[in-house]
Amino acid sequence: MKQLRFFYLAMVHPDERNMSDTNEHKLDPQKWVEEYGDYLYSYAIGRVNDSGKAEDLVQETFLAALKARDRFRGASTERTWLISILKRKIIDTYRKKYSSKESSFGEHDGTVFDGDFYRSEEPFKGHWLEGSGPNSHSLLPDGEMEQEELLRFINLCIENLPAPLAAAFIMRMIDEEDSDTICKELDITPSNLWVMLHRARLRMRECLEKKWLS
Amino acid sequence: MAKGPGYRMMVFMSKRMIACDEASFLISLREDRKLNFRKWWQLKMHLLTCHLCRKYERQIVELDHSMEVYREGCSHESCSHQLSSDASSQIAQAVKGGLNAN
Repeated sequence: MKQLRFFYLAMVHPDERNMSDTNEHKLDPQKWVEEYGDYLYSYAIGRVNDSGKAEDLVQETFLAALKARDRFRGASTERTWLISILKRKIIDTYRKKYSSKESSFGEHDGTVFDGDFYRSEEPFKGHWLEGSGPNSHSLLPDGEMEQEELLRFINLCIENLPAPLAAAFIMRMIDEEDSDTICKELDITPSNLWVMLHRARLRMRECLEKKWLS
Repeated sequence: MAKGPGYRMMVFMSKRMIACDEASFLISLREDRKLNFRKWWQLKMHLLTCHLCRKYERQIVELDHSMEVYREGCSHESCSHQLSSDASSQIAQAVKGGLNAN
């Protein structure tokens, strides 16, 4: 293992050699903002979608990192370590929203029914409500689509999701966490998670379709 | 009326038919984990008869694809943002304060 590491440092990544030779176990908080500020900010803004909130998160991350810097063992790079702290902070903001709202998403019993999207009168129970089902054949417009526009729409639509749904959707689709981790972080059962993801997808689909049509 | 295998098949199927809510849930669930045979069959049977859910299925696949684009787009430079100078100096101050406090 040691030999492998040496090989990596010597051959693969000369920059990293300098860094880890001088910096193993040492951090340089003075330079954090300069070096990682923009990176952390971009990461945060892709997930909370509010520049003020993202700035606060970056600051909180640095402060938390300062407090915890004795625990940094140099097992990861400074940057991944800071990102892991930021991730935790982002999840915390969702959890706060989640518990303060006390919405019905939390105590969901696992039924799929959602009155915003499906009909509830008996013979047609469970059918799509007029207009809430898919209208167009394809969610994406024909031909070349502007990638920037797509990213902007996705951001807008995530913003429109109710907080707990957004939390689940972001962790699953953007951070690509596995379901066990998400359930633990949000303190829900797997069947709750599947229903929440389903509802998030219902809303995302509807929102994106409307955005493209307008 | 004679109750042949065809009739019994019809009863078997109609008792187990699902509506659009269940079907769309299964389409979403399928993105996250494998369906068991029963659910897979129910979904297939529903999709045979329901054009709205066929559209929905297609769109959900497209949504997943767009999210992939989104993930990749955001790990590259193309959608990187920069801290405003005010914010970064404020954060630098806070970090300095934190350093002195320790």
